[in-house]
Amino acid sequence: MEKIGEGLSCSTKTEVTGELVYVQTIEDVISLFDNATGKICIVDDAGITTLSPILSELSGTVCTTGSAGSHLAIVSREFGIPNIMGINFFSDDIASLNGKKGKIVHDGEDKGILYLL
Amino acid sequence: MNYVDLFTKSQPNPSLFGGKGSNLIKLIKFGFNVPSGFIINTNAYVKFVKSSQLKHQIHQTLSEDYNPKDVIQFSQKIKNLFLKSPIPQEIVEEISRHHQNLCKESGRNSPYSVRSSANIEDSKNFSFAGQAESFLNNKTLEEILTSIKNCWISLFSPQALFYFLQIKKTEVSFSLNKLKMAVVIQKMINSDTSGVLFTANVINNDLNQMLINSSWGLGETIANNLIIPDLIILNKQNFQILKRIIGKKGKKSIPNPEGSSTILVETKLELRNKCSVNESQLRHLYNLGLQIESKFSYPQDIEWAIENEIIYILQSRPITTLIEK
Repeated sequence: MEKIGEGLSCSTKTEVTGELVYVQTIEDVISLFDNATGKICIVDDAGITTLSPILSELSGTVCTTGSAGSHLAIVSREFGIPNIMGINFFSDDIASLNGKKGKIVHDGEDKGILYLL
Repeated sequence: MNYVDLFTKSQPNPSLFGGKGSNLIKLIKFGFNVPSGFIINTNAYVKFVKSSQLKHQIHQTLSEDYNPKDVIQFSQKIKNLFLKSPIPQEIVEEISRHHQNLCKESGRNSPYSVRSSANIEDSKNFSFAGQAESFLNNKTLEEILTSIKNCWISLFSPQALFYFLQIKKTEVSFSLNKLKMAVVIQKMINSDTSGVLFTANVINNDLNQMLINSSWGLGETIANNLIIPDLIILNKQNFQILKRIIGKKGKKSIPNPEGSSTILVETKLELRNKCSVNESQLRHLYNLGLQIESKFSYPQDIEWAIENEIIYILQSRPITTLIEK
């Protein structure tokens, strides 16, 4: 298990495992429509694409910006989806994470940690 | 039939003013500092839909169980219908009168915010956070009218339609037919600092803590996940600062200096490492948080803005996700 990023855990404190998907455009979201179950979606500020269409199918949401007060955090909490906001990735190449298996872990306080399995 | 109501002359009424509008009226009655303005009530929306004969077409486009794949297309179709239909003249006249009155206080072409207030919003179960839109820094009546229509349209944005689909999955009884949109028009606050204050810690569900996110400029950067804001956690009993994490706050939203709406600018380097709220402001926010929570008898998610050291309350709604321990 390799630690690949750390941020604020802003939603349900369940550990989840899922396929990592980097979502940047509305087309990315559409392509996940029947395909979103069990996925952990990564979005960044450049994307600002709403995950709403697929949110209830996802295992987790990860965002490189934002905090507990952001809409994505609020809606993740409302739908009980584990979330990390403001994640600091240890490498720059987020796209290379696509398709790999990740795990969201909470440290018992407020940190959310993303592992590569 | 009237279509516009002044904050100061109205009673809270979610079905007429939507969740946001109704809560703003409550905040004013409780004596909190809310930017002055008026509300285009849901009668206006209903009249607009009726006079444009949109109801039938909306119905046709969105049958009770619309398919996720069709949402973007449906949303665009409804948007086009709304854009084509004019706002009834009697509504325009009433808005114009109120706008002129407000301008007498604040000056011609002073800027206004135009904010959605749906009647689904801000209940204890679903906040509808981020699903409908707001439009800042409107300088003319024409811009205000365009933004009002765009607020109505955002009730049928792809995001909103998907959100409704998800609500239906949780079996909360809900019908699109009952949805109405009020619109709040307020004097625009050109914030030096903005943020949200939760009167419970939403990260760990601790009711004895408060959580604040704050950043430079207008608050849309925090709501829309555009930046990493500052995070402060306070002990609710004694104001002790339990945690302070400075966020990068790389960008700042400001009123467009060359016209209307807002633009994003890079935050100056020296301000990125500086906390966007100082201790005195935090203490004021803390006191306001306690007072507002007490008046609403429930932990609150409060939007605030500070301009020239004056704190304005822009919204307060119940925290929808506290787990009762």
